Amino acid sequence: MWGSGILNGMRITMRNMLRGPITVMYPEQKLVIPERARWAVAQLYDADGNPKCTACRICENECPDHVLSVVVSPIEGGGKHIDDYVYEVGACMMCGLCVEACPYDAIEMSHEYELATRDPHDLVRVLLHDVDAASPRRVKGGDDA
Amino acid sequence: MSTALGVLARFGAMIGLLLVNGVVLIYMLRKVLGRLHLRIGPNRVGPWGILQTINDVIKLLTKEDLRPDSADAWLFNIAPFLIFVPSFMAYIPLVFGPTLAVTSLDTGLLLAFALTSLVPLGVLMAGWSSNSKWSLLGGMRAAGLQIAYEVPLLLSALGPVMMAGSLDPVKIVAAQSGVWLGFIPRWFVLPQLIAFVVYAISSQAETQQTPFDMSEAESELITGFANEYGGMRFSFMYLAEFSNMFVVSAIGTMLFFGGWQLPWLATPAWLAPLVFMAKTYTGIFVMMWARGSLPRFRVDQMLSFCWKVLIPVSLAWVVLWACIQRLWPVIAVAVSR
Amino acid sequence: MTDEEHMGWQITSEGTQRPGPLPRGLRRIPRGVDELATEHLVLNMGPQHPSTHGVLHVLVELDGEEVIAAEASLGYLHRGIEKLAESRRYHQVPTLLDRADYLSGLHTETAWALTVEKLAGIEVPRKASWLRSLLMELNRYASHLVWIGTFGLDAGAMAPFLYIMRDREMILDVLEAITGSRMMFNYVRPGGVVADIPAGIDAKIREWLSHASGWLDENDALLGGNEIFRLRMNGTGVIDRTTALAFGMTGGCLRASGVDYDLRRDVPYCAYPELEFEVPTGQRGDNWDRYVVRVGEMRQCLRLIRQLLDGMPEGEFSSKRSRALKVPAGESYAAVESPRGELGIHLVSDGGLTPYRMRLRSPAYFNLAVVDEALAGGLIADAIVTLGSLDIVLGEIDR
Repeated sequence: MWGSGILNGMRITMRNMLRGPITVMYPEQKLVIPERARWAVAQLYDADGNPKCTACRICENECPDHVLSVVVSPIEGGGKHIDDYVYEVGACMMCGLCVEACPYDAIEMSHEYELATRDPHDLVRVLLHDVDAASPRRVKGGDDA
Repeated sequence: MSTALGVLARFGAMIGLLLVNGVVLIYMLRKVLGRLHLRIGPNRVGPWGILQTINDVIKLLTKEDLRPDSADAWLFNIAPFLIFVPSFMAYIPLVFGPTLAVTSLDTGLLLAFALTSLVPLGVLMAGWSSNSKWSLLGGMRAAGLQIAYEVPLLLSALGPVMMAGSLDPVKIVAAQSGVWLGFIPRWFVLPQLIAFVVYAISSQAETQQTPFDMSEAESELITGFANEYGGMRFSFMYLAEFSNMFVVSAIGTMLFFGGWQLPWLATPAWLAPLVFMAKTYTGIFVMMWARGSLPRFRVDQMLSFCWKVLIPVSLAWVVLWACIQRLWPVIAVAVSR
Repeated sequence: MTDEEHMGWQITSEGTQRPGPLPRGLRRIPRGVDELATEHLVLNMGPQHPSTHGVLHVLVELDGEEVIAAEASLGYLHRGIEKLAESRRYHQVPTLLDRADYLSGLHTETAWALTVEKLAGIEVPRKASWLRSLLMELNRYASHLVWIGTFGLDAGAMAPFLYIMRDREMILDVLEAITGSRMMFNYVRPGGVVADIPAGIDAKIREWLSHASGWLDENDALLGGNEIFRLRMNGTGVIDRTTALAFGMTGGCLRASGVDYDLRRDVPYCAYPELEFEVPTGQRGDNWDRYVVRVGEMRQCLRLIRQLLDGMPEGEFSSKRSRALKVPAGESYAAVESPRGELGIHLVSDGGLTPYRMRLRSPAYFNLAVVDEALAGGLIADAIVTLGSLDIVLGEIDR
């Protein structure tokens, strides 16, 4: 009969109406995001609270959009001092190439996705400021440099 | 009560009902569409989101009243009123209870249909005067469609009118009291099922709901004829659309579902308006349900459906029912023998 | 009286004309309008429009509601992807390609990986090929879901657009768990893929699969089973076989016009030589055929995903990749069957760290080129629906 498809369609929508919504009331309810999800870059620290970053600047070179910049100055007697580890989170596309390339496991893609802000100054973060870089004695296995 | 005060009171009641209807129906549409689509609909403003429409009204009141420079100023300004005022006046013949109506007219039904047929004129005016090609398309479609679908709307209403023998809604509702065969309520929908189906389809088209919403096809013309309107002018037209839905559903209730009467029990006067509103809102719910589920027709398909299917069917039904009604005494006597 | 005097014009002493006094109540009419003059309406559909699926600008010339001619005007989403690729290293280019066809990023990435591997002679482990195929099929299903939802919306049906989100959320969650992102995957690299499937994802995909067929049937019943929808789609937007081949259309649009060509079966790559699937085709090339072909493809997707899950081999997920990959000088071309058609990448290398030239053969570009033939002769409502049935993504058309 002409019209049976129409009535069947209305039956389907009514059935779905009775099933209830599938939406989540954000921000009261938040979904758990997977382990590998890539959001803002964050520094990692060792057990003593010192940053693992050795200021090798491989991440700075790997970033396709030049979002990271590491300002380094030498320490007398050897070693490096990180003046600023600048990260333009507003320009970052969260591709994860920096984290893949880091040989020392010093940065990670955190799960921080609530990055919207009203203040443009929040779009540029300084992740490390005025600290000594770790010494590059530990080497991480994985891809070639 | 003195006439002037009575008139003002009725006028006030009509306005009040219109505004309450508008608020409730807009909220109901958003919730119903949301639930049909597996989402929640508004729920932040007020408990369960019931104050959402108040929010929207305040927002629309505070918006700038824009008019395109090249639009025809006079027509542009009065078009929303030509859409709104007839929809508002169509509340006059509605019967809410045994003694509760704005006024009692011998030709109440005719008045209601005559007023709703003024709305396409306003739509056409809005589409034309906006001086925008998209609005023009929307207005032209309305001119073709809403006017065309009034014919089956009227013809399908003739069946219940013949059964009740009057155009007065009070008498039509009164003719539906009682039962047939002891247990079937005497509602006109049962013998007039074909007329009811035609009425339902035509009313969906008259109120520009999907599957007949060509003049404001959202994915094609954005808002169709109302593209260039903003702020309070737009809200007038929006309110008129919902008011129209209420009027058409209310007339359908009066014609086919016994108006303010409960099926088997005698209806006390205080309960009658509630029953009437419940039935009307169920009708509106079904219209919204169809709106949220179905794709829309193309313009020429809608027109050919009207002219080639609905009008012949409703005409044939009118003739058939007239014959049956005239010959019923003869048939009944012949059957009983 | 002369014509001029009849119409209210007066001849002055210098012989020129000027308007004369009008009888009261009459509006002035222009000269020479005796019969009703009509003209065609030129309408701008887009670039801002709810139905042009991106920033597409189509100029249509209308005679009332009928479309006389149509022309697509492109470039609103051009971002210079091909030029930017010339300054990215080979493992950084996938970050650009995800953004070309944003609904099927994995296909574009795989096309890039295949063409680089062809030129550089890199071997890909079997597991990597199977992982690529699995994710490509998931991506294809997700892209077709978006198509079915927006197609329904073009036709006026609001419900399927939200029902697809049920499936899509589950698929995108799975893709996020595997690749790290819901849309900009950056997962397929020359040499293999970035990482293996984490534990527990196989179960999640199977859980989705158990619902997927039923949900697809719901969407199909709401659209394909609906008489109004069929009335609109049957016989509209017809693209016949010759036109389709002449314009270089590929994918579902070509198959709906009667040409049985699918790269997965005819020029196989990745795991497809070992998989069993059918290729649905149509005959008339109208909107209904394109709808049926794509829904058929979705069902075949489910079948393929099940085979890929069941037969997933063990092994390495990537061969040794270098961050300073140098591809020997030369050219290569490799193509995959994306949800829109043959998506190919032509790579020209000069032996350095970055490609010399990368050209993306975008299937939607060629599918869209037929818009004048397909839209002319129909009504504007058909035009909207036909554009929707072509399944275009402006990101890859404009690059």
